[in-house]
Amino acid sequence: MRSKLKWGDFVIIGVVLALAVAIAAVLALSVSGDQLYAEVWQDNELIERVELTESTDRTIDLDGHNVIVLSGRTARMQSADCRDQVCVRTGTLTHAGQVAVCLPNRVVLRLTGDTGEIDAIVS
Amino acid sequence: MKTKKLTLCGLLTALAVVLSLVERLFPLDAVVPVPGVKLGLANVVTLFALTRVSARDALAVVVCRVAISSLLMGSVTAFLFSLFGGLLSLIVMWALLRAEGTFCSLLGVSVAGAAAHNIGQVIAAIIWMQTGAVVAYLPLLLVMSVPLGLVTGLTCAIVLSHMKKIDFNV
Amino acid sequence: MKRFLAVILLLLCVTGCTAQPKSYTADFFAMDTFMSITAYGADEQAAQDTAVQCEQRVNALEPALSRTREDSDIYRLNHADGAVCTVSADTYAAIQAAVQYAEFTGGAFDPTMAPLTDLWGINTDNAHVPEQAEIDAALARVGYQNVELLGDNQVRLLNGAQLDLGGIGKGFATDAVAALLDGSSSVLATLGGNIGAYGENPVRDSGNWVVGIADPDNNADYLATVEVRGLSVVTSGDYERYFEQDGKRYHHIFDPATGYPADSGLRSVTVIDEASTRADALTTALFVMGLEEGMAFCAANDIAAVFVTADKQVHVTDKVGAVCTFTFLGEEKGYTHAQ
Repeated sequence: MRSKLKWGDFVIIGVVLALAVAIAAVLALSVSGDQLYAEVWQDNELIERVELTESTDRTIDLDGHNVIVLSGRTARMQSADCRDQVCVRTGTLTHAGQVAVCLPNRVVLRLTGDTGEIDAIVS
Repeated sequence: MKTKKLTLCGLLTALAVVLSLVERLFPLDAVVPVPGVKLGLANVVTLFALTRVSARDALAVVVCRVAISSLLMGSVTAFLFSLFGGLLSLIVMWALLRAEGTFCSLLGVSVAGAAAHNIGQVIAAIIWMQTGAVVAYLPLLLVMSVPLGLVTGLTCAIVLSHMKKIDFNV
Repeated sequence: MKRFLAVILLLLCVTGCTAQPKSYTADFFAMDTFMSITAYGADEQAAQDTAVQCEQRVNALEPALSRTREDSDIYRLNHADGAVCTVSADTYAAIQAAVQYAEFTGGAFDPTMAPLTDLWGINTDNAHVPEQAEIDAALARVGYQNVELLGDNQVRLLNGAQLDLGGIGKGFATDAVAALLDGSSSVLATLGGNIGAYGENPVRDSGNWVVGIADPDNNADYLATVEVRGLSVVTSGDYERYFEQDGKRYHHIFDPATGYPADSGLRSVTVIDEASTRADALTTALFVMGLEEGMAFCAANDIAAVFVTADKQVHVTDKVGAVCTFTFLGEEKGYTHAQ
């Protein structure tokens, strides 16, 4: 029977598994450079800091004044009880460096993370 | 002799294509959430061709099998990925078979072949899609290649020993 | 196997050893807008010191430029009934700059539009389209020629004119931040629609700062980028402050000639310039002028500007390529880069 295991078989299996672990380890380290966070500030105080991943699905309600929706790797101000609605019109944030600001309520929604394509947006 | 060999290669290719089709009935990627994960039944044929025919003929079988099964059910990308994986697997198994019996058994050869197949596929995906992101699937694919490689290697060993029993020679 | 492990260890080292410059971001609300100043330094304390210094400078300027605060110079001047007022050096410098740019742009930018903006009430609960007679009455009080600079920080307003430095206030503050830095500091200041990018950007290999120009339809996104260093980038657009009445949109950039929001077929104008005050005044003026006149004005005066039109075209003046790297990215969003 040619299937009788020899010591070399264990070496092969060991090398394959070691390779899998090594690649996973390198990936785990480099993936950390791809992290994206949503920060919610109110009156210059950090209310919430959430890591955005593909599976993120959360709604943050600031006492009904501002409703922020975090969905996947995006964030947006869904509604605001302010007059100008600038923050809602800002739309969906997808990159680190983007900001949606509700001036009347002094609420800031911003994405942070490692260096993205841009450092700031002028609008 | 030449005709006999040609017929055998044709048979092996047909068998490999059928096995590729049968494989589809076991949607392994429903259990393991990685695109491209397969049982690798066709690898049994490659291994058999390498051990009982010749490397050159095994190469022909692999290329024909990939081309035909891609025509039947795949896309251009699937063809490229399978071809890359199949060829790398072939080279690794061919090299290891020289040490078979002393250093390792058919099972080890098969595991290495399965792992090489996955690595080849991922390399092709990186080249084709111009992104390194697909490497993320590799660790799980490699881990899976151990049990799957053992199964295909065992199958091949059983077939070979059975053929020896009935004194069938090619 | 040993060699393999060594390679893995080496990889881990390479990813772990890259030194990160420390940064500190000061976020605050001033001049009716959101401001964010990020400074980089050798350590966190140094970065924080720089950022806070900049924030303090901006906050100190607020009373010098505000029109609404009752303790401000401008409020005093606007309520002096044409009498001569002595104002602070900062205020005087800002008024001087505003009048200078009004002259430069032939009145397309005008710092005496306050009666009009008050009448329209944009961004107040009272936003509405006024009667033509009201507009005519307000327009009679508009005109930068009514601002008399008498030297020695003394100013007089004629014919019931009212000053509003909102059009250059953030630019003036950005320039004040730039003046504060000794040139070696790395600072990215976002003061509302004004960005000042000073020093070397330590997080990019190029050392440049990449600024996205907002997509007017979704201003969290951008349709082009400019790579700059030691420059200010300023945008004025119709998309942030506006109100709608009878299905028509009325934005906050007024045409001094008509008293109505400038209907020039533009969505936004971006100016890249060393002086943020100048860029601030120019974005407003160019928006009022419209594409054709604006492009001609830029060509004649060597101005780096990016125009985004209502029919989704992006026009770039010749000067842009000379001061920064411009990259058009709006194709997917339906914009075309007019050459």
